[in-house]
Amino acid sequence: MPAAGRTYWLTEPCRIRREDNSVRIERHDGTPVHLPITDIRDLVAFDHIDINTSALSLLNRHGVTLHVLDHYGNHAGHFAPAESMASASVIRRQVEISSNPAQRLDIGRSLLLTTAENLRWSLDTDLLDPALDALRAALPDCDTSDALMGQEGNFRRTAWAVLDTQLPPWLRLNGRTRRPPTNAGNAFISYLNSLVYARVLTALRSTPLHPAIGFLHSDTDRRRNTFALDLAEPFKPLFAERLLKRAAAQKHLKETDFETDVGRAALSKNGRKKIAALVKDELATTVYHRSLKRQVSYEKLIHLEALKIVRLCLEGTPYKPFRPWW
Amino acid sequence: MNPDAYDSAEPLGGVHIKYLRHCPRQLWLYMRGYRPEADSDLVAFGQIVDETTFARRRHVDLGEARIDWVTAGAVIHETKSSRAPSPAHDAQVRHYCLLLERRGINVRGGIVHYPLIRRTTEITWDDEARDQAEGAEAAAHAVIAAPRAPERLTRSRCRGCAYLDYCWGA
Repeated sequence: MPAAGRTYWLTEPCRIRREDNSVRIERHDGTPVHLPITDIRDLVAFDHIDINTSALSLLNRHGVTLHVLDHYGNHAGHFAPAESMASASVIRRQVEISSNPAQRLDIGRSLLLTTAENLRWSLDTDLLDPALDALRAALPDCDTSDALMGQEGNFRRTAWAVLDTQLPPWLRLNGRTRRPPTNAGNAFISYLNSLVYARVLTALRSTPLHPAIGFLHSDTDRRRNTFALDLAEPFKPLFAERLLKRAAAQKHLKETDFETDVGRAALSKNGRKKIAALVKDELATTVYHRSLKRQVSYEKLIHLEALKIVRLCLEGTPYKPFRPWW
Repeated sequence: MNPDAYDSAEPLGGVHIKYLRHCPRQLWLYMRGYRPEADSDLVAFGQIVDETTFARRRHVDLGEARIDWVTAGAVIHETKSSRAPSPAHDAQVRHYCLLLERRGINVRGGIVHYPLIRRTTEITWDDEARDQAEGAEAAAHAVIAAPRAPERLTRSRCRGCAYLDYCWGA
């Protein structure tokens, strides 16, 4: 990964070509954009892209990841460079921790509880306090991952109902639906969750950890990189729910930004652009980090979260999931 | 067999010796696979200085170490992007001397080049230097074989280190 790379968000259909040792993005309106390869940390494709082997091998050589999102905002896949930062001794410890049921459940519990508290923080309401207390009471009795996920589901349902009270009628979730999302609010949440997942994957690839050896989600869960799903949890409220609330309050999103059908909804081309801009700004937002004693961006927070797990694997430092402190 | 046990006969490169002098903790983490150097602007800067100075000289690859270049009579040269000569750089060159001598080469000494301040430091190669190099090698093996990571140094000394986020970002 380049030292000073940035994420490029491809919101329009385009063709990615290699030109000498840089990348040329060709768009339908005929204005190619040249990107120096050393400036690219990763690419996120929101729309159709064409790419060929020579472009991919250039991306590979410079350690650039390409994330592909499908029409409904699901993470359709990613192209990752062949060479990885993986390290056998770290992965060995990761597997040991993950296969130890007690440690695994401990991490799962703290992830869930922190996620719930983050959600309460992002919705900024005391309506969730009873549900949070119920969750706190129920978590110690859960002795399987499935039981944990069940408790999480209960809390999430309450939280989404509360979120609905803060949204205009057309943007309400009315129950979370996925694959495909059934209404505008769900389409937004799906998109943001996929983006957070993609950011976590990119962060994990810059550490020696393996993205598939997780602690909370079950291994068979849609055969995804379960560890990336785990680490994405505490960040979802910071991005998905909070941005949805903000976009609604500032009337930033319009009904025309979504293509709503009977029983399915997706973002329109314009909506995708708005979301890309929204997320890009949000990831660049900085807060003062108290132990690093400097400003860090939200993007960097995800990287620091991955490092906590590296510390857990290498030195046995207890893992405390991310919680906003501002 | 304990998979995390390290073979002390395994040869060490210059980077190991430099890290040992810079911060033992960095060496320990490096050997266990945490290598964030690629993200560091300072490291990228060092690479560019290496590519753009003494460009006609050829690197000598020993497998475990890569010497910047060697001139007649076996004088070992090393380029540093730093503006401040440091004992870690000298130790690195002494280690290269040791590696070459073990390959049966009659080493005369070494020179560390600091192109940014246009200065050089000379390293003499004698019995005392050989003792130092062997001592550093043994110390590095001891750090690597330790089951726990060495303690952090004081924060001010970590300035500019690529491992800072890992060590201090709790």
